[in-house]
Amino acid sequence: MLSVQLAKDTFYATLRDRVAAGNAARTVVLRGVVRPGVVVTENEFPGAAVDGISPSDVFCLRWTSLVADTQGAMPLLTLGCEIRYATDGTSGTSGLDRGRMLAAMDAELIAAVSMVPQRAGSLLVTEAAAGGTSTIVTTGTNVFWGDISLKPATMKNERMERTAEIEVFCYGQ
Amino acid sequence: MSAAQARVADAMLRSLGGRTVLLHIPAPAVAGDLGEQVGLATPLFQDLSIGPAVFRKIRPWVAIHAKERAADSELLLSATAVTQVVGSSGYRSADVLFANASAVVVDGAMLEIMSVASVEAFGSVYLYRLGLRAAAADLT
Repeated sequence: MLSVQLAKDTFYATLRDRVAAGNAARTVVLRGVVRPGVVVTENEFPGAAVDGISPSDVFCLRWTSLVADTQGAMPLLTLGCEIRYATDGTSGTSGLDRGRMLAAMDAELIAAVSMVPQRAGSLLVTEAAAGGTSTIVTTGTNVFWGDISLKPATMKNERMERTAEIEVFCYGQ
Repeated sequence: MSAAQARVADAMLRSLGGRTVLLHIPAPAVAGDLGEQVGLATPLFQDLSIGPAVFRKIRPWVAIHAKERAADSELLLSATAVTQVVGSSGYRSADVLFANASAVVVDGAMLEIMSVASVEAFGSVYLYRLGLRAAAADLT
């Protein structure tokens, strides 16, 4: 269904732009290009160490569930999104600041997701001609999302990790 | 690189078969292109020929259907050849080259790179050992 992909792309682009606006230094280098530090794991190479939280200090999105409510005139689609992130702290402090780094990522994510409005005009991304960049068109429908739920932080060796969950909604076409 | 160890390694690889394989490397991403970031546009790939190399199975094929698939084959690569490719293709180091490579093509089969280890003598790398497994898309 087209709307599912529109919702995924729109939420990612919105979150990416809001995180970049909140902290321009939150970046990741993928395939030789510096990007804002928000990555959708299903769109990257399986072996590129972006599965889950392999790269630190980056928000990794994973689409986990899809529910279609077909009772209304238009089906309401609910997409489950899992955002995983981790930090080792900074090497200069031997990682002693990893708690503060994780707290900073918590704050950036909450601010980006909770920023009013909690919706965005859905984006239709179309493939570019050879050598060009993709075309983005706003379709006139909206993608909207609920409040974010942060799971308890966990430790894996010296790395602190957290998973956040959010539901993203759109109407099917 | 210590020339003696490198020559011995290259001679060993040639005597064990000395084949050539292809490193499957994506072109750099287009900066700021949303289409690539959302998986719509896929990058172009280039295949870099590299050898001498020795390819061998290290696990039976039945293991590749396990949920967490480990490397099922191993590739020994000449450090001399890797150094030449690094220099000619503009990568900063062999680590960066292998980190960017999405797969190795052996006899037309696409194999994912699971691990890379370097073998050194006197601080110089003379051999690379790559752990490989069949690409998931090729298993069905």
